[in-house]
Amino acid sequence: MSQPVKDSVIVLKDITKNYKMADQLFCALDGINLTIKRNEYVAITGPSGSGKSTLMNVLGCLDNPSSGQYLLGQKDVASQSEAELAKIRNYGVGFIFQSFNLLPRSSVLNNVMHPLIYRIMTNKKREALARNALKRVGLSDKIESLPNQLSGGQRQRVAIARALVTNPAIILGDEPTGNLDSKTTADIMALFDELHEQGHTIILVTHEAEIAHHCHRVIRLVDGEVESDITNAIEEPKEFVHG
Amino acid sequence: MGNVLHGFFQSTKAAMLAITAHGMRSALTTLGIIIGVAAVITVVAIMESLSTTITDQLDDLGSDMVTLQAHTNPEQEMLGQSNKLSYDDFLLLKAKTNNVSDMTATMRAFSLGTSVQYGRSNTQTQIIGTDSSYQRVINTYPELGRFLSESDDLRRRRVAFIGSSVAEKLNMPSDPTGEFINLSGDWFRVIGLAEKRGKLFGFDQDNYIIAPFSTIRSLNGSQVTDNIDIMFRPSKGASLDKIKAQMSQILRQKHKLSGDDVDHFKFVTAEKTKKQFAEITTAVTLVAGGVVSISLLVGGIGIMNIMLVSVTERTKEIGIAKALGATPQFILFQFLVEALILSLLGGIIGLAIGYGLAAMVAMFMPGDGGIMVPMWAIILSLGFTTAIGVVFGLAPAIKASKLNPVDALRYE
Ligand SMILES: Nc1ncnc2c1ncn2[C@@H]1O[C@H](COP(=O)(O)OP(=O)(O)OP(=O)(O)O)[C@@H](O)[C@H]1O
Ligand SMILES: [Mg+2]
Repeated sequence: MSQPVKDSVIVLKDITKNYKMADQLFCALDGINLTIKRNEYVAITGPSGSGKSTLMNVLGCLDNPSSGQYLLGQKDVASQSEAELAKIRNYGVGFIFQSFNLLPRSSVLNNVMHPLIYRIMTNKKREALARNALKRVGLSDKIESLPNQLSGGQRQRVAIARALVTNPAIILGDEPTGNLDSKTTADIMALFDELHEQGHTIILVTHEAEIAHHCHRVIRLVDGEVESDITNAIEEPKEFVHG
Repeated sequence: MGNVLHGFFQSTKAAMLAITAHGMRSALTTLGIIIGVAAVITVVAIMESLSTTITDQLDDLGSDMVTLQAHTNPEQEMLGQSNKLSYDDFLLLKAKTNNVSDMTATMRAFSLGTSVQYGRSNTQTQIIGTDSSYQRVINTYPELGRFLSESDDLRRRRVAFIGSSVAEKLNMPSDPTGEFINLSGDWFRVIGLAEKRGKLFGFDQDNYIIAPFSTIRSLNGSQVTDNIDIMFRPSKGASLDKIKAQMSQILRQKHKLSGDDVDHFKFVTAEKTKKQFAEITTAVTLVAGGVVSISLLVGGIGIMNIMLVSVTERTKEIGIAKALGATPQFILFQFLVEALILSLLGGIIGLAIGYGLAAMVAMFMPGDGGIMVPMWAIILSLGFTTAIGVVFGLAPAIKASKLNPVDALRYE
C-alpha cells in the first residue's frame, strides 16, 4: 500500500501490545501495520479476544503500544506530552466505549457535556451542543435521567452522543451498535453515514456482517494480527438496511 | 491565561461536586481537623481570657504600686541576723523622698494572732495595721461604711475595715458596720466593708482585716522591734529607678551600711508578678499549642488517608475524565482543591466550635466571663489547615493525575 502520506490520518508501524500474565507474555497485538486516510469509513472485525478493543485504545491514545510507531495526523504519538495527549483525546478523537463508561452519578445531559468542560466556552453553549447531540441519537426525552435509569441501548446512545458532541475529526466506535435493535441500529448507522459525508473519519468495531459490509473498508483481526484488509466495492446501497 | 483560569474554575467546580456528592464521608474526613482546630481555639481563648482577667486583677491591685520590705540574705540569716524596717525608717523616707505620691506603712498584728470571732463564729484571717493612705496605694475602697481615717490612727481607735470574705465567714449581717468583732480578746468595731475583689490563682483576696497602724503598733507592744512594710506609688511620669536609688541611699545611710554591705531591704513590684505570670501563660499556651498541633497533624493525615481512598474509589471516574480530555493538571488541581476545601471547611467549623467551647468554659471562670479569640490564633489555625490541605492533598492528587486512562478505566 502506497497512499500519499499527506492524506494519511493514521499510520501504524509494527504496533505490538503485550500483557504480562503471571510470568508469561501475552501478545494482544502482534505487529499491526495499517494506514487510514482522511474520511475513510472503516470496519474492524474479528473473533472475540482478537485484539480489536486493544487496537482501538491505541488508536484513541488511551493506551501506549509496547513497541512500534503510531503517527496520528503526521505526528508521532509517543513523543507527545501528557497535556498534548489530553488535547488530542478532547479535540481529535471521539471514542465510543464498548462498555460505555458513563459517569454513574451524573445525568445524561451532564455526561454528554463532560468533554466540553475541558474547553473554554459558556455553560449555555455546552448545554446547547449536548442537547443537539442527544437529539441526533434520539434521546431528547431522557436528558435528566441517570445512566442506571436507562436501558442498555439508551446508554449506548448516550455514549455515542458524548463522542459526537465535540465534533471530532476521527470517530472511534467500539461496537457502537452492539446493544441496539435493528431500527435503532439503522438510525445510528445513518448518523455515521451523515458524519462520514461531512468529512469525518470513522472507524467502527463490529461483529455484524451487515455493518461491516456497509463500511467502505473491512479490516479483520485474528490473534492480534491483520488477517485481511478488504476495500468494498463502491456501488453499495446508500441506505443501511439491517438483515 | 484564560486557559489557566478556566481550568481553575472548572476543577474547583468538579471538586465541590465531589465533596457534596460524598457528604457523609466529607464530614468524617474533616472531623480530625475540626477537633484539632476547636482544641487550639479553645485552649488559646481560655488562656487568653484567663490572662486578661488576671492582668486586670493585678492592675486593680495597683501594678504601679511598689512595696519596700526588709530583706535578710541567707548568709546573714545563718549568723542569726534578722533585718527590719522600722517606723522611723518610714517617717524618714516619707519626709525625704521626692516624686512619690502616696506612701503608707503596714504592719502585721502578730500579737493578735490570726483568728477573729463574731458571735459564735470564728475564722482565720490576716490582720494588717496601716493608715488612711493605704486605700489609695492599693486601690481598696469601701462597699459600705468608710475606710480608716487619720483621726482613727491618731487616737488609736479600735476600729476595723474588713474584707467581704471575713464578713461572710463570720456570718455577719449584710451590713456589718457597727458590729463588734473580737481579735484575741480585743474588741474592734467594724467601720467599713471592702469591695469584693475575687480570687487570684485560687487565693482569696478578700480575707483580711485592716486596723489603724498606731492601734496595732501599741497592741504589738514596745518590747518587739517594729517590722513594717512600706508601700508607695511613684508620681506620674517619675522614674522608679531614681526613686529606688534615692530611697536606697537614705536607708543605707540610716542603717549605717558601708560600701560593699548588702542592702537590708528590697523592692517588690506588681509589674514583676505580672511579668512572671505572663511567662507562665505563654509557656502553657505554647505547650498546649504543641500538643494540639499534633492533633492537627493527625487530622491532616486523616485527610490524606481519605483522599487516597477517594482517589482509588474514583479511579474509573478519573479514567473517564482523562479519556475525554482532562489534563493531568486539571485532575491534580481538582483533588488538591478538594483537599483544600475539606481542610478549610474543617478549620472554619473547628473555629466556631472552639469559640463556643471557650465561651462555655469562660462561664465557669473568674472575671467577667467575656471571651476573645486573638486574631493570631485564627490566622494561625486557618493558615495551618490550608497548609495541611495542600501538603496532605498533594500525594493523592499527584497519584490521581498520573493514572493511565486505560488502566484507570479498567478499574472496577
Ligand atoms: N489488561 C489486560 N491484561 C491482560 N490481558 C488483556 C488485557 N486486556 C486485554 N487482554 C487480552 O488481550 C486480548 C484482546 O483483548 P481485546 O479486548 O482487545 O479483545 P476484543 O477483540 O476487543 O474482544 P471482544 O470482541 O470480545 O471485545 C484478550 O485475549 C484479552 O484477554
Ligand atoms: Mg472489545
